[in-house]
Order: sequence, then structure tokens, then C-alpha cells
Amino acid sequence: MNMSSMDHLILVLLSMVVAFIPRFIPLRIFSTRQIPRWFNEWMKYVPVSLFTALVVKDIFIDTSDYSFVGLGYLAKIVAAICVIGVAYRSRSMGLSVVLGLIAVALLALVLPV
Amino acid sequence: METEKPRWREVLEISMPLCLSYIPIGLACGILLHAAGFNWILTTLVSLLVFSGGAQFMIASMLVANAPMHTILIMLFFLELRYALLGSSLSQYMRNTSKKFLYIFAASLNDENYAVNYLKFATDKGWSPKDALMVEHYSLLFWTGANLIGSLIGNMININLDIVDFALTALFLYMVVMQIKNVLTILISLLAAVLAVISMVLIKSTMGLVVATLLASLVGFIIEDYLVKHGREKGFLLKKIKPKASRKVISKSGE
Repeated sequence: MNMSSMDHLILVLLSMVVAFIPRFIPLRIFSTRQIPRWFNEWMKYVPVSLFTALVVKDIFIDTSDYSFVGLGYLAKIVAAICVIGVAYRSRSMGLSVVLGLIAVALLALVLPV
Repeated sequence: METEKPRWREVLEISMPLCLSYIPIGLACGILLHAAGFNWILTTLVSLLVFSGGAQFMIASMLVANAPMHTILIMLFFLELRYALLGSSLSQYMRNTSKKFLYIFAASLNDENYAVNYLKFATDKGWSPKDALMVEHYSLLFWTGANLIGSLIGNMININLDIVDFALTALFLYMVVMQIKNVLTILISLLAAVLAVISMVLIKSTMGLVVATLLASLVGFIIEDYLVKHGREKGFLLKKIKPKASRKVISKSGE
């Protein structure tokens, strides 16, 4: 299927709706009602779990058929280890991203991406 | 005390690390969207209206793979579902705001400005919803600008898109590292990784991300609750980990 710019515009507008609903509804509901304490305690573990899952998707999953690739993207795995080290020591988001990009670009010359 | 800086400048300084790190990611995203057939107007629009790195990277890669529109939208919805969790955890700080404010705030909420705002709300009593909205808008401005430039240089240079895609992975990795507070968070992160692989392979969609996130965070909550109730806050699992570098950062911003 080949989309025209008009199709793309419709896609963008619908994407906005799809992105807005889950952002707005919980904010609206919970800003006027008391959140139970257990819910807040639970939410504390959401960011770390979610971001880990997203990283795993990028590094270990082939999203064309959702198969596990193991060490198939070795360059990304090694670069990811570098990023963890840089992030832990520097606490700098910008530095982590830029060095991560440089690392994966260099590793891609010798390892599968 | 020195002369008071205007509030917008103070907030800008707090947002700056985030804004600067959006530049390489935004450039990468703009280049990918260009490769997917978006012109610069569409790229600017999607950055302003959707404002989600993950969503925009996904739109680009699915368009390249010739996915039909409804498939892209369903995938996006599941990817964006995580904002429900971010929104709920910020909502306690959004009391006494108008419905209109919540609309505007929700529209430009995303992972990264959430991370900044959540930290500020939790540690700074003077941090207001208005400041939080300012952080969102500064990051939106930098994000959109970087995407626009990426879109414009997309046809001048030829880059391996798999490599550009790693910008987002690196960003998520950074955020995982920032979340590590004790041994238990490391264990929950590993559990989330294993669950993510299993659930994505079984469900064959990014819905697996949501399942893994909910399960892993629930296990973390249950274990912490158990340890606290049995008086083991100072035990091996919940003892705080403090890297040397973070102390310097904290004392700097604490002045």
C-alpha cells in the first residue's frame, strides 16, 4: 500500500487522538479523586519495568514477526552495555544517547546490527 | 542569595539537559520519518500533535514496512497506553487545576518530561503544575525543531536507519539506569526483561510490553510491601544504592 500525503495527514490526526486518550483520562479521573496508597506504591515500579521492556523489544525482538533473536543484534547488545556504564557514571541523558549512537555505529562495522 | 532569576529561566535551566538530549533523537526521528515519506510539514505536525519518540519511530518504521493505517493505529494505541500509567502517577500533583489545564498538560506529556517532572514534584515542594507545563513546552519546542531539521537533512545524507533507531533505545536505557534505587529495582528490571520477551513472543504484538510492565511492577510492589511489613527496609533488597556522581548533582541543584 502506498500512502499519499493526504493519507499521512489523516494518520497524523488519528494518531494524535490515539495518543491523547490514554494521557488524559487517568489524569482527569485521579486528579479529583483520592488515589489508594497501594496504587501509588505499585506505580513506583511502572517506569523501570516499562523502560526495560521497551529496551528488550529494541534489542532482542525482531518486530516483523515478534520472534526472539537472542544474540542476533550483537552490536546493539554491546552498545547497550556501554550506554548503561555511561549513564550510571555520568547521569547525563545527552551524553548517554550520543555515545550510544557512536558506539553502535562503530560496532556495526564489525558485528551484526 | 543572588538576584532572583525569572521563573521561566529557572525552569529552562532545569529542562535543558532533557532538551539537549532531544536534539540527536529528534534528528534521528526526522530522518526516519523522511525515509517513510513524510514531508517536513507532516513531520512538524506529528511532532507537535503526537509528541512521542516511541510513537513517531513506530509510525516511521511501520510505514516503511507498508503496514495499513488501522494496524499502525492499533499498535500506537498499545504503545501509548503506558501514558495512562504515567498520568495516574502524576495526577496526585494535579489537584486544584482546571479541566482546560489538564487538557493542555495531557497533550504534551511524554516519558522524558514525565521523568523530569515526577522527580521535581517528589523532591521540590515549590514545584507547581505551571512549572511542569513549562518543562513540557520547552521539550516540545526542542523536539519539534530537531525533527524538522532531521526531515530537511534527510534527503541530503544517507544513514543506516537501524543505527539511527538506537537513539531511542539508548534513551530508554538511560531512564532504566536512573530508576535504579536498590537491589530490588534491579531484580524487577530483569524480571520485566524476561517477561517482555515471553509475552511479546506469545502475544505477537507490543501489547506484550503492557502485560510485562503490569506483571513486573505488581511483583515489585508485592515484594516491597511484604518486606516493609516484616520490618526489613534496611535489608539487602531495599538498601539504597548511591552512585558517587549523583551526590554532586543533588548538591548542585539543592542550592
